[in-house]
Amino acid sequence: MAIVVPEHVVEFLGRATVGIGGTRDRDLVPHVHRVSGWSVSDDRQTLTCLVPPQFTAGLLLALEDNGQFSLTLSEVPSHETYQFKGNFSASRPIDAKDVAICGRHRERFTKTIAGLFGFSERALRAYVPPPSVAFDFRLREIFVQTPGPGAGKRLVPDSTE
Amino acid sequence: MMYERLPDEIKTVLENGVPAELVSCSMDGVPNTTVLSQVYYVDPESVALSFQFFNKTVRNIRENPHACVLLNDVEGYAAWILKLRYDHSETEGPVFEDMDVQIEAIASATGMTGVFKLKAADIYRVESVKKVDFEPAPEG
Repeated sequence: MAIVVPEHVVEFLGRATVGIGGTRDRDLVPHVHRVSGWSVSDDRQTLTCLVPPQFTAGLLLALEDNGQFSLTLSEVPSHETYQFKGNFSASRPIDAKDVAICGRHRERFTKTIAGLFGFSERALRAYVPPPSVAFDFRLREIFVQTPGPGAGKRLVPDSTE
Repeated sequence: MMYERLPDEIKTVLENGVPAELVSCSMDGVPNTTVLSQVYYVDPESVALSFQFFNKTVRNIRENPHACVLLNDVEGYAAWILKLRYDHSETEGPVFEDMDVQIEAIASATGMTGVFKLKAADIYRVESVKKVDFEPAPEG
């Protein structure tokens, strides 16, 4: 059953600075995929992820095989973090809107991290490469992962995992 | 570029203070992604991950030992993907003691004193290492 992203998490999606995705193959071996941007559907039941070519190895194969995807988004420096779990629904080529989403994320990431870690803005911009794949996954669960005693609590549906 | 063991050049990445990310998978096939404050070099064939409060990750790893870690080398225009297999946990000894000191330092530097607390050093065998390169962004 699909769930709906709460309003305060929708707001968080617009300020998160780091996105990491996870798939697994049919041998239950996990794979990591950096995400270059994300967006939520109008009905707030589906997230779209943009993945750069450096991290697409095995991605669609795994998604089409078993559909399982997890996405962790974190805001630096507050450490506010949520994990979204769901099922793959569709993939498509990149369009101009995706490029714009990635560009906004790249600038947010660059300005935030440069001010905290002192890395060069050129290096940080390179760290959010243009995406080559866009795919949707329908949300099933959202977990709080902000470090602390509440980490791991399932936010939606409401319960503790 | 692929490696079977940890190359020497990865040591500086492990010590750069940038958080890493880990993906595990439950036995019923659900991946789980989380942020790691530290990946510790043990030897060319193994690393230690800090076990603090990642309960779902710990549960996954105890039932399915496979893990995948992403290391971030921003100024090197690269990332490193480690395929790992959980071997055992240590709650004392030099690896645990070193990690405990480093976790305290990270907690202090990131405003997480009292939140980050090392429960164990989980030792993983390295199964493969992949370096991913990024193109420098155009100047301007």
